[in-house]
Amino acid sequence: MIDLILVAIGLTLIAVGVFYDFIGAIGLLRLPNFFTRLHAATAGAIGGAVVPMIGAALVALGADYLGPPRFFLAGAAFASSILLMILSQAGSHAIARAAYLSGEARVEPALHDALKEREGGG
Amino acid sequence: MESIVTSVLTVLIPLYVTSFLIYVVRVVKGPTLPDRVLAVDSLGYDIAAFMVVLSILLKSPLMVVCGLSLALWIYALDIYVAKFLEAREMGG
Repeated sequence: MIDLILVAIGLTLIAVGVFYDFIGAIGLLRLPNFFTRLHAATAGAIGGAVVPMIGAALVALGADYLGPPRFFLAGAAFASSILLMILSQAGSHAIARAAYLSGEARVEPALHDALKEREGGG
Repeated sequence: MESIVTSVLTVLIPLYVTSFLIYVVRVVKGPTLPDRVLAVDSLGYDIAAFMVVLSILLKSPLMVVCGLSLALWIYALDIYVAKFLEAREMGG
């Protein structure tokens, strides 16, 4: 019984992850400039990568037809989901900071750029 | 049990792949370098997750290790490009 619950939760998490991935991809395509696309990319990275990994780990724990190596799969999936949760945010922040400071990505449709005033242009 | 998991995953896998193609469109179209790097890193993270999901479908835990190392490499890509953009040098 517990296996069925684990597999059910895992499969729903994977489905939610696929949905987030799709939304992140469409957001990355249609949002106007780089800084708004950051939101879509990080939502796509967390919802589309971390959530399916946790779901896959749960499915691996529950699906006993996979045999003993499934525990290795579940452990590695949990470890990489936690790692991804930290790394994807740090990487996106680094890219956003570099893009703003180097002036590579201009803040086009922006009403008011608070960072420019506060730091005098960084 | 196995038929449930296999059928649900075979439905979800094509959806995953279509969202990869949309990321590739942004990689090709992205006007600035940070746009491309952003698209590549979210593409890479989702391919790493896709490897984990696929390794359940293929019943072998080998691909999970590649997913983990791909995620680490994508993070390194982010940091290198950020370093390059700010200081115009790749850090040693």
